[in-house]
Amino acid sequence: MSGGTNITAISVFVGFVAVSLLITWWAARRTHSAGEFYTAGARITGLQNGLALAGDFMSAASFLGISGLVFIGGADAMLFTVGITVGWALILFMFADRLRNLGRYTFGDVVAYRLQPERLRMLAAIGTLTVAIPYLIAQMVGAGALIQTLFGLPYFVAVVIVGTLMTVYVAFGGMLATTWVQVIKAVLLLSGGTALALLALGRFGFDIDAMMALATEVHPRGEGIRKLGGLYNDPVSVLSVALAFICGTAGLPHILMRFFTVPDAQEARKSIGYAVVFIGYFQAIVIVIGFGAIALLSGETEYVDESGRIAGGANMVAIYLSRLVGGNAFFGIISAVAFATILAVVAGILLSASAGVAHDIYARVIRRGEISDRKEVLVSRVATVIIGAAAMGLSLLFRDLNVAVISTFVLAIAASVNFPAIFLAIFWRDLTTRGAIAGGVAGLVVVVTLSVLSPTIWVDVLGNEKAIYPYAYPTLFSVLAAFAVTIVVSLSDRSKRAEIDRAAYSSQLVRSELGHQTADVTVS
Amino acid sequence: MKELDDVSVLNDPQFQKLLKRRSRLRWGMSGLLVASYLGYSMAGIYASDLLGTGFMNSSVSWGIVIGYAIIALSIALSLVYVRVIRRLCSSQASDVSGDR
Repeated sequence: MSGGTNITAISVFVGFVAVSLLITWWAARRTHSAGEFYTAGARITGLQNGLALAGDFMSAASFLGISGLVFIGGADAMLFTVGITVGWALILFMFADRLRNLGRYTFGDVVAYRLQPERLRMLAAIGTLTVAIPYLIAQMVGAGALIQTLFGLPYFVAVVIVGTLMTVYVAFGGMLATTWVQVIKAVLLLSGGTALALLALGRFGFDIDAMMALATEVHPRGEGIRKLGGLYNDPVSVLSVALAFICGTAGLPHILMRFFTVPDAQEARKSIGYAVVFIGYFQAIVIVIGFGAIALLSGETEYVDESGRIAGGANMVAIYLSRLVGGNAFFGIISAVAFATILAVVAGILLSASAGVAHDIYARVIRRGEISDRKEVLVSRVATVIIGAAAMGLSLLFRDLNVAVISTFVLAIAASVNFPAIFLAIFWRDLTTRGAIAGGVAGLVVVVTLSVLSPTIWVDVLGNEKAIYPYAYPTLFSVLAAFAVTIVVSLSDRSKRAEIDRAAYSSQLVRSELGHQTADVTVS
Repeated sequence: MKELDDVSVLNDPQFQKLLKRRSRLRWGMSGLLVASYLGYSMAGIYASDLLGTGFMNSSVSWGIVIGYAIIALSIALSLVYVRVIRRLCSSQASDVSGDR
């Protein structure tokens, strides 16, 4: 089924693009200093930032991917939706205050606070780019394929549209434009998802029991879709998925960057509190959409290809469901929302990548802070254009890339390189520069090695008979390795620098809890 | 207004109390959620059939109900955390962190 020319889809999407370009023009006139470019001058409110965080995180993967996962595996997808929500609540408890109080533009500021700054910033920048660039390419390849199916546009055109728009948003409008694009997208996605779930439930007179009963009846796995443990039934895989969400979400650079767009720690807590509400709510809805799709789409021959599978893959079920329950106009709206979703996510990632290059590497390591504010903004804008163009080129080159593999890899890097460094830097006095670098390198090496030896690359891509590492996810071993190496190396570190690193923890602790306030401390 | 003197703040019993209360909240809530989630995902393997039984004789299984309950718990704890920390900080000057 091709969308052909769906007038509603095109008008909703053109409307979104027009509004987002207006916002970019408005934001560009307010973006001059580095602080304005990276963090919108730290003047975003808690609610706005909460929506923007939800917008940054809820990619097409969490909407289309998870509803598709429910369609295939049933209740097994709860492992993901529950993990996502728990992961976000943990970010609030563990990271919100301390990160906001210690950082300025990027999480590199936080890990470099008391450790040797140049080396830690290089690690942070590598952690940022190894997450951001594959993530960008995966999203753009996914977008190209989706747009091709929905709007009938050639892949090449779709990638160029997405790549150009994201580069324009970020290069001209910086964080202010990116934030508002995220806010609008989050509102569209939350309301579109709610409408879709309600329309699907409406088919059953809002009787969830009836919907589930039909879903169980028509699904090839029958009663199996009500259980967990069908998709992953070994502890290594399940713990790896769990760790990917617990540690990985808190290591995504574009999410961490949003901590610095609000004025203080109180607003940072508020914004992540809102984000937990929006994201948790959305996860709850996606499960309903997925089961609704099982119940309603299963008998519909229109959406199935010759082999009896869903045309375009299970990721398309939410889109097809929208057409089935809401007609062509609603289908157009949901398609446009899915497109807007991807566009907003890639803008956020691109901004974090450009900050990693311009702020962490260029301004702080190469120039050692000897750079004017204006110059740094200029460098960020140039970096944005170069990274944007490179991502476009790579997406055109690797159009057959397995998007799911890349998404797993990205979350594993975030969990195994960025998370251990940040977590131990803010909570563990004995962390030293040498330990942090060794741990980061260990995390990176283990993720890359196990990914190559895993079934998805060793067997599916390289064509070997049997995978050397039999599990799909490397996270359990890579996270443990990163923590173990960091701790052992730090404890055995007798260098001069190690003394400085440990001694500076006390002062960092005070700042991380109190921020830069100047008043006396009194506790009720 | 002067910058805080780190050593005196660190030894201030009020700061120690703040630190202790905050860590208790931070690790207590984190521990509760991590334990529920890991317990839930392990139950998916080792008590798969049990999680597959209907909740109150409906077609909705216990596995789905418990999953939703953990999502609701995460949201509830987050809202409580934001409120409690705000109250904890409200009697001291708001924790402003200006630009450095």
